[in-house]
Amino acid sequence: MIEFNDVTKIFPNGTVALENVNLKIEDGEFVFIVGASGAGKSTLMRLLLREEQVTSGTLRVGDYDLTKIPNYKIPYYRRQLGMVFQDFRLFDKKTVYENVAFAMRVIGEPTSVIKRRVPTILSIVGLVDKYKNFPSELSGGEQQRVALARALANNPRIIIADEPTANIDPKMKMEIMNLLVKINSKGKTVIVVTHEKNIVDYFQKRVVTIRDGHVVDDRIGGMFEDDETV
Amino acid sequence: MMRRYNVLYFFQQAFKGLWRNGLMTLAAITVLLSCLVLMGSFSLLVYNVNVNIEEVAQLNEIVVIVDYEATDAEVEALNAHINSLDNIEKITFVSKEEGLESERSRYEEYSYLFEEIAEDNPLPDVFKITYEDNSGAANLVYQLKQLDHVSKVNNRTDIANDIESIKSGVSFIFIWFLVILFVISIFIIINTIKLGVESRSREISAMRYIGATNFFMMTPFIIEGIIIGLISSAIGYLIQSILYNAIYDTMSNNYKMIAVAPLSDVQSYLILGFVIIGVVAGVLGSAISLRKYMKV
Repeated sequence: MIEFNDVTKIFPNGTVALENVNLKIEDGEFVFIVGASGAGKSTLMRLLLREEQVTSGTLRVGDYDLTKIPNYKIPYYRRQLGMVFQDFRLFDKKTVYENVAFAMRVIGEPTSVIKRRVPTILSIVGLVDKYKNFPSELSGGEQQRVALARALANNPRIIIADEPTANIDPKMKMEIMNLLVKINSKGKTVIVVTHEKNIVDYFQKRVVTIRDGHVVDDRIGGMFEDDETV
Repeated sequence: MMRRYNVLYFFQQAFKGLWRNGLMTLAAITVLLSCLVLMGSFSLLVYNVNVNIEEVAQLNEIVVIVDYEATDAEVEALNAHINSLDNIEKITFVSKEEGLESERSRYEEYSYLFEEIAEDNPLPDVFKITYEDNSGAANLVYQLKQLDHVSKVNNRTDIANDIESIKSGVSFIFIWFLVILFVISIFIIINTIKLGVESRSREISAMRYIGATNFFMMTPFIIEGIIIGLISSAIGYLIQSILYNAIYDTMSNNYKMIAVAPLSDVQSYLILGFVIIGVVAGVLGSAISLRKYMKV
């Protein structure tokens, strides 16, 4: 479970990015986080990744209290998260296989486990036949699927996708979203930060709307509200 | 959960990194080996200056001339006294007879003169004393002069003092020059490796999100630093030895006045120095370049 309790984040220059945010996400939920640029979505993500620390309040993710976690434990905490970015952040000089394998290598998985698991993950995202390709040889949608495979490599409890459909063509967008829904159906918590109204409205999942650092709307089966109407 | 990392993997990554950033690797190696050769040349120069200074004069010798009339027992007592003094490295007793014999062999062509004086040897007994610490030489001379049956004490402590101060001046400049060269090489290496690290900053940031520990991220770069250090020291030593041997040959053949120590005298120190400085500079360069990426 992810639990924000009265979380406030104020940056050193005085900017209040989040203020008294209360948000609870249960295990296995699928949540869209929406809001305009500068609303505080990125800060929320950075707090979840423990790139930033909360100024006040408490933030718990599973067994970890992110307000108290010592630095040396942060890498181990992050292994519970699978991150997907809008710019994919793949390793350009590694093949599809190596990109996924690398995530497992990072946490010290033995080669025998890597060899067994990577093809399974690639089959989930439908890229088994492209395992030898380099990212530059793939379409945007395919690259994002590699990123998703990499995020899944270490069997994380939570998948966080930051604008996962922003840089891919419309047809592929639905494929990526369907994959995320499929992953969610296997019991993983999925958090998707997005600007895309069509997608949010289509999937009818829980939608958390952030504006000016506050959670202004939180409803299941919600719709993407325009700023003016929130 | 802690897992054991594959050591081979770190080495593979380090070699891949060096190969991938070939130009940077070449730059780092060139800079480091230039500094090493510069440091090595300066060290060898100073070493040879010292060798020559020591060779010019065996100055740490005091000659104690014994009273001509002193009996054997008194000379023996004087020997015991001298032995009890501090700061003495070696005492050599040269008797009247040995002194005469030594002079005779030195001036062989006038040996007939020595025949004449053999019966009435005019030379005194002599103690040749070498001391350990130059700063205590004056005190030792004073103590020797106070002893019974000492006729005269000859020494060259004044010249020795001058040479000692030249040596310490040279050492002082030497140490500072080395420190400055070392700092410069570290600085250049930091910047060279930093370029390599920054070209991989996206990779490093992606690794952090996956949950890589600092150890996992830093180790390949540190190994790169070690490899750069080792390659630089090996090539540096090779260049240094070729240069030095060429100078050695030229000096030995043409300038016999100046003593040049053969490379074999200092070879092991030179290799050790190159490897240590090379590896330390490589590792420090990598570690400092990586510092800003190692935040959580």
